Parts: sequence; C-alpha cells; structure tokens
Amino acid sequence: MQPVPSAVARGDHPPAILSLCGITKTFGSHQALRGVDLDVRAGECLGLIGDNAAGKSTLSKVMSGTYVPDGGQILLDGQPVRFTTPSEARAQKIEMVYQDLSLCDHVDVVGNLFLGRELKRGPFLDQPRMLAEAERMLAALEIRIPRLTAKVEKLSGGQRQAIAIARAASFDPKVLIMDEPTSALAVAEVEAVLALINRVKARGVAVVLVTHRMQDLFRVCDRIAVMYEGTKVAERRTEDTNLQELVDLIVGKGGH
Amino acid sequence: MAVYTERKAGSAWADFIGEHAQVLSIAMFFLLCMTIFGLSSSTFLTTGNLLNVLRQAAPILIVAVAMTLVITTAGIDLSVGSQVALVNAVCAIAIGAGLPWPVVVLLMLALGAGVGAVQGWFISYQGIPAFIVTLAGLSILRGFALYLTEGYSIPITNVPGFFWLGRGTLAGFPVPALIALLIAALGFVVMLRTQYGRQVIAVGSNMEAARRVGMPAKRVLASVYVVAGLASAVAGMLIAARLGSGSSNAAQGFELQVIAAVVLGGTSLMGGKASMLGTVLGTMTIAVIGNGLILLHISPFFTQIVTGAIILIAIWLNTKLFDRGLRIGKART
Repeated sequence: MQPVPSAVARGDHPPAILSLCGITKTFGSHQALRGVDLDVRAGECLGLIGDNAAGKSTLSKVMSGTYVPDGGQILLDGQPVRFTTPSEARAQKIEMVYQDLSLCDHVDVVGNLFLGRELKRGPFLDQPRMLAEAERMLAALEIRIPRLTAKVEKLSGGQRQAIAIARAASFDPKVLIMDEPTSALAVAEVEAVLALINRVKARGVAVVLVTHRMQDLFRVCDRIAVMYEGTKVAERRTEDTNLQELVDLIVGKGGH
Repeated sequence: MAVYTERKAGSAWADFIGEHAQVLSIAMFFLLCMTIFGLSSSTFLTTGNLLNVLRQAAPILIVAVAMTLVITTAGIDLSVGSQVALVNAVCAIAIGAGLPWPVVVLLMLALGAGVGAVQGWFISYQGIPAFIVTLAGLSILRGFALYLTEGYSIPITNVPGFFWLGRGTLAGFPVPALIALLIAALGFVVMLRTQYGRQVIAVGSNMEAARRVGMPAKRVLASVYVVAGLASAVAGMLIAARLGSGSSNAAQGFELQVIAAVVLGGTSLMGGKASMLGTVLGTMTIAVIGNGLILLHISPFFTQIVTGAIILIAIWLNTKLFDRGLRIGKART
C-alpha cells in the first residue's frame, strides 16, 4: 500500500489550511513548546513524530483547542483564529481522534457515531434514520461493521478505532488530527486503519498523524515533522527521507 | 454476502443473550419465587394478595426507577429514604396547616426537586463523591424531619382526594400501583428512546467522551439527583396517603431496598449499564419474598435475613453469568 498520490506528491503546493506560527506553551516551569511553526495542507498527511515529552501531543492539543497556546498565532485559511475549547475548534472544522477514542462502551455503534448530536423525531430518538445515516457514514469510508446495533464494547480495537475515525470524519473536517491511532492494534487491524487514513486523505482532508510507529509514516504520510524538546527540528518529504534519518532526528543526533 | 448475513445473525443472537443475561436470570428467579410461594401458600396467588404486593411495592418501585438513572451515571443516592421521610412529614404538616392537597402535592414535588438539585450541585459541579454527599443528606434530611415533627406521627384527616392516591382503586387496580407502573413505563421509554436517556448512559459510560462531544455532562449528572428527589417526593406522598399520617420514622432502610432492587435487576454500579425492566423485576422479587415469607408464617425478623441472603446469592450468580458473557465476547473478537 502506497500513500495515495496527493496534490503535494504531484508537485504543486496547495496553500496551507492550518498554519501555526511561533507557538509556545509552558506548563509551570516546563516549556513544552518553544516556538513551533507548522503548516498543514489539504489532502495531505503530515506525520508528527518525536520522543516522549518532545511536545507532539501538546502541539496536537493546541491544534484541537484542548490547550490554549501562551504565544504565537494560529491561521486557519489565512485568518487568525483562537480556540479555547475543543468545540470551538470543531466549529472551525478541526477534529481530533483522541488516543482513548472517546467512545462509550455501553452505547451501540450507531449511538456512538451520533453521540452528542442525536437525531430526534419529536421527543424520541430517531433510531431508523440514525441507523441509515450511520450505514452511509461507514460505507463512505468502506468500514465494515457486522452489526451496527452491537455495543461498542463487543468490537475489536481496529473496529473501535474505525468508528472513532468515521465519527470525526462525519463532521466533514478540514483538518483531522489523530493521536496514536495504530499503537494498540493487531497487525491486520493496523493495515485497515492505515487504509482508512488514506481514504480520509483522498477526500481532501488534511490529516495530522501523531505516532510512535515509524513504519506507518512511510505508508500514509506525505510530510514528516520531527519534534525534539519542544521545537520542530526537521521537516522532510516522505520520499526524501528514510527510517535511519528520522530515528537520528528523534534522538537529537542530526538535522540541527 | 450470504456468509456475511449468516454471521450477522449468529452474533446478534449471542449478543442478545450476553446483553440480557442479567434480566433473563432475574426474570427466572422471580418466576421461581412466584412458583415456590404459590405452591406453599394458598393465599399467595389470589388477586387480592397480588394487588396488595403491588400496592406495597409502589413507593420502592417509583424510587428504584429514578435510582436506576442515578446508578447508571456510576453514582448512588443514599438519601432517598430520608427524603421520603422528610416529604412524608412535611406533607402531613402542610395538609394539617390547611393547604389544599393539590397545592401540597406540587409543593412536595418542588421540595424533592430542590433537595435533589442541592445534592446534584455538590456532586456534579463541586466534584464531591455521590456517596459522601448523599450520606450527609441521609443524616441531614431525616434530622430535619425529626426536628419538624419532634418525633411524633402527624395525622392527616379529612382529605379523601389525597387518601385516594394511596388507598383508592381504579378499575379494581390500586392507584399507587398504577402510578408506579406509569412511572416505570416512563422510565423505560426515557432510558431507551430519548436523548436524555442516551446522555445519562453516555455520562455513566465515559464522562470525558460525553464532555468532548459537547454533551452538557455536568448538568446531566446533576439532573439524575433531581429526578431521584422528585421520585422520593412521590413515594413519600403515597406512603402518607396510604397510612393517613406523616412521620419522620417513615421509610427506614428504604434506600437499601431501592438500591438492592436496582442492582438485583442488573444495573451496574460501575455505570453505563442500565436495565429498567430489570429494576421492575428486582423490585417485585424483593416485594414478593417479603410478602411470601409473611404468608408462610415465618418470623418477620427472619425476612430480613432471607432477603439479604437472596440478594447476595442472586448477584453472585449474576456476576458468574455476566463474566462468562464477557469471555465469550472476547474470544470472538
């Protein structure tokens, strides 16, 4: 499986949807982000890698509105924006799939896809319409779940991940941030989720993939940004780099 | 595609058994109790006795429906017995002071909702564990009831309309039982078919996820205690109307019967997993055991021992069944 050829791979650079300029964030005495610049482009997958505490999670949470940066600017389609909550980021079409997936185990697949925005008919839940919409939602991303009225706790890790991604994608986001979507999955499930990321990307969504799994980067990412101690130390086109170089950058041995 | 459909049907059946194992087991246990008491006592299965069981179980059932919502959010309300006692006493005082009974009914509902709202605020917005807040409530509210009545029972006289709520019949059916069944049906529909029910389950299942998807998670968490307060008010008034008096000593140990009924019905104390039907069956099982043992002329003191032992054994068996369901689920994936 190769990355779906995107606008970037074809050689033309679409303008950035989301631009971060000089983002800083401090927790107490620890400076988590020391002025990070990052561009995210439509239909492109950006890999965000780095060791633990390098700042990649903090950066993704700044993008999704969970953290408010101390300094710097966020531009969305060229306009400065400021998010103080995840729902404000969602209103601006920025979605995040959290590592814990944010699914309710005791609610069925349909209910999770519509969590917080249930369709109603009068005072009651409109189950038939939600079921039909959920089928359409999953079919659009070629996700197969045998029974949509099964409780989520009955599903495999890959199926759960797929549901979380499908839910985020159904908000029709411009930017979709995924935190470690493949880290807890079996081999076959990783393949399915990577294929799913490629399909989301093909719809023109800018995907940000935060991951520890280096092998995944070469399967879905067009560009890779490496974080080291709160700064972005390097940015590489996927075809211009290799595993060894990325590992060296992550541990701080090169690229400065 | 044919293979696909077949697998779908198979797993649906297994899931159905797995999801409803606890309701099925409490239903079987309920039928077992009915059969045993029916065979050993000639009066147990008479219409009069069964309607009497329903009438007595009504207050527990009403509060158990509300408690199902509370426990679904992984909370607990230990103060319902004291709330019932407070409403029971205040309602007798208010009627004694000459207020028309329909006004008293509305005031008592407001009192229950208010008490619930205060407790819900501490639990949801101040983050104090529900166990602590409602344990304090248990003490404070019964204290208020004792203080207001000075420990005396306050008689209610000459309000036939109010008495009808506790003693009357409608087409041969006791009114309190009808009210309880209506509330149970309402609880069933709310839990399974409305957005509010879905929010309660989501908050109990994964509070953080509910918050992230934009649900008013804190308000939902606080609201279940308001519902418990309203239900306690209804129960307190029905008891006052049946007995024709209000007393601060009403509903002693009521909260434990209610919680036992809910848990017996398969609602998980860990939150997220609810069964309204199970709650109804759990309540009726406890009521039937209490009634049956009396009819068998077993010492009423013994009833408590048997009830407690049956709850322990039933939940132990349930846990075994439920655990096996989980293992099947894991093996399949």
